[in-house]
Amino acid sequence: MSDATVIKPDLQFVSEIIKGGGESLKKCYQCATCSVVCNVTPEGNPFPRKEMVLAQWGQKDKLITSPDVWLCHQCSDCTAYCPRGAKPGEVLNAIRKQSIKEVAMIPLFAKIATDPKLIWLLFAIPMALFYIVLTVLGNTNIDVVRAKSSHMAYHNFMPVPAIDVIFILTAAFAATSAFVGIKRLWAGMQANAGTAQGSGSPFGHILPAVTTILAHKKFADCNVSRLRQWGHLLLFYAFAGLAIVTTWAIVYLYGHEFLGIKAFGPFNFGEAPYPMTDPMKMLALASSVAFAIGFTIILLNRLGNAGKAGMGSYFDWIFLLIVIGVGATGMLSWGLRLADVTMGYWVYYFHLVFVWSLFAYAPYSKFAHLFYRTTAMVFAKYTGRDKK
Amino acid sequence: MAENKVLVVGGGFSGLTAAVEAAETGAEVILVEKNPYLGGRVTQLNKYFWKMCPPNCGLEIQYKRIKNNGKVTIYTLAQVEKISGSEGNFEVTIKTTPRFVNDKCTACNKCAEVCPVERSNDFDFGMSKTKAAYLAHSQAFPAQYVIDGKVCKGSSCGACVKACPYGAIDLGMKAETITVKVGAVVTATGWNPYDATKMDNLGFGRVQNVVTNMMMERLAAPNGPTQGKIVRPSDGKEVKNIAFVQCAGSRDENHLPFCSYICCLASLKQATYVREQYGDSKVKVFYIDIRTPGLYENRFYAKLQQDANVSFLKGKVAKIEQGENGDVKVTAEDIHGGGKVTESFDMVVLATGMEPTAKSLSGAGIKATWDGFVDQAALPKGVYAAGTVKAPVDVARTAQDATAAVMKSIQSLRRN
Repeated sequence: MSDATVIKPDLQFVSEIIKGGGESLKKCYQCATCSVVCNVTPEGNPFPRKEMVLAQWGQKDKLITSPDVWLCHQCSDCTAYCPRGAKPGEVLNAIRKQSIKEVAMIPLFAKIATDPKLIWLLFAIPMALFYIVLTVLGNTNIDVVRAKSSHMAYHNFMPVPAIDVIFILTAAFAATSAFVGIKRLWAGMQANAGTAQGSGSPFGHILPAVTTILAHKKFADCNVSRLRQWGHLLLFYAFAGLAIVTTWAIVYLYGHEFLGIKAFGPFNFGEAPYPMTDPMKMLALASSVAFAIGFTIILLNRLGNAGKAGMGSYFDWIFLLIVIGVGATGMLSWGLRLADVTMGYWVYYFHLVFVWSLFAYAPYSKFAHLFYRTTAMVFAKYTGRDKK
Repeated sequence: MAENKVLVVGGGFSGLTAAVEAAETGAEVILVEKNPYLGGRVTQLNKYFWKMCPPNCGLEIQYKRIKNNGKVTIYTLAQVEKISGSEGNFEVTIKTTPRFVNDKCTACNKCAEVCPVERSNDFDFGMSKTKAAYLAHSQAFPAQYVIDGKVCKGSSCGACVKACPYGAIDLGMKAETITVKVGAVVTATGWNPYDATKMDNLGFGRVQNVVTNMMMERLAAPNGPTQGKIVRPSDGKEVKNIAFVQCAGSRDENHLPFCSYICCLASLKQATYVREQYGDSKVKVFYIDIRTPGLYENRFYAKLQQDANVSFLKGKVAKIEQGENGDVKVTAEDIHGGGKVTESFDMVVLATGMEPTAKSLSGAGIKATWDGFVDQAALPKGVYAAGTVKAPVDVARTAQDATAAVMKSIQSLRRN
């Protein structure tokens, strides 16, 4: 028995996977159909069959910082072909949720972002935050706010500097959280990689990984959820577009205020609102349309594939809720402003709540896949794991 | 007083056994078979367990028992449409399809010689052709030709009528509906090979030289389309490098949610066909678990494992593609640490499972379980089931089960 391997199952981990959307885990009988139909996995030591047995046996350490868990794009081809309804796609998603909690800088925040029982707290934090700011500014009576200028303008309600301070701090918090999470994930992946360590600098692999992501190449290998490639692509670029718009708006405002740049050509340096002829506004509108279409595709794909791919869990739906919340309140508050409906101020308040939730919980919610999947893809390239 | 008569639905190994066993107790038996011949799936096999003998070795004994006994009335090309009444007093409606050939037939083949029409031979799963006037197979019982009404040109042709020296052909035969009274019923409608085209990732019907295990039996059988020479369908190349894909549809809730029980042993048996025919052949079996329960079955498996040219890979095949020159590319994950492997073979056999037939018995008042077998708890009094309509079993167990079901049916007759 000198070479005996003692396996210590982490039963708590097993039960967390089962509770977190992987309730079908124990149905797996290790036939390996999943690894074969998966077009995203590397050929050597493929996933997700081995993840299924590791999860059944509670091998938390081998899974929680495994690059393979993150290389999975949840195409759900595995789930569709699974002969036992074990839904490997859903199980790996549940493992990713545990992975996010494990590497989180502030575990309590991860709990708030992923525990359905704490959904009230998730939204109560930003609602209280913005309400306090409004109270301090004396802007809680929207009729008074409306009377401040001839046109309805949201900066009368929540001034730009206040927004900037809050969101710069929030972004700094999210960035720090993501940085800590990425470092922990990386260290864990290295510890698990055994002899398959990379050599040289990993930074050279970032650009190829990002290029793959920008082109959505991996999604193209999915069969069951083929439509999702376009949905995710549109949503991805909508987010990118809206991020550019936000930066652009800051340039307009502070460029005018501090550097004295005046409006020229179509570029309206100065305060909002900006006319529809402004390229920034056009980008904002294009991104919004892409957002709406992308989100619809993702939603229809998920509902349409529910029979084959599973319905997803709270972890997925709360993320989708926040995303649609951002989009819906954003577009609605824009429309209400144009229509001069005072209630628009409160819609805008909820818009801020959703946007804050999206940012602040980013490294703790499903949104964290942006950081961790990218990290795993870089690691895979670094260690030669992604070679077919 | 109940009718001292048993209806047996299905003339395969199970139904045949039930019929002779019941008849030998003195009961009258009505045996209804939808094919033009008796013997069912067993007749299509090259060899079968446990003696590894050809089908006629077991079937001929049963046929002889039927002939000697004289109490069995056989309806071939017939199906039970309805069963009404109750235990001891059932009324059965049987519908027959015309054979167009009467009892005067001596199986001389003159009709087939002159018949101008060809049909795809379903007995060989479409791998051969027969004339519209044909003998179902060389061991057919009754040894009587049959004319396929779907393709026969009828009296406008009539070549066979002129050619038959015995006046055995009657193209005017009509479908008939027969009503009989019986005291008890044994259903033994058996199984059909699961439709392999339903597994879109396994390429059947799309990728050349992917065959089912039942097709493999025909390819190896001396009375099959290749006279028993195992060659691949696309180009007749000798099959010296073959793969068996286990659980092709079985143990899969998208297809057949149960283990079909026979496929592992069937593949191991078919491996011996190839190994015996070509000394330099190689066989690879892809499996989830090799299921060979039982002493004899385990020994058979263990013996095959001794053959250096037979290998086993743990990992289900989930992708089959066309390779070069008619070869077949098979992909599986080698679970014992080998990663994803793609290998090329001359021919690939899908170990397809048993699709049960209980759903076809609804007219007889018999309910099917959700997975398609007879719901035994819901069987009407006086109605019994035997063989693979109840659960997947092999030939020997089907015979034992038929005997047991007959015992119950005789008890039912005595009670009423």
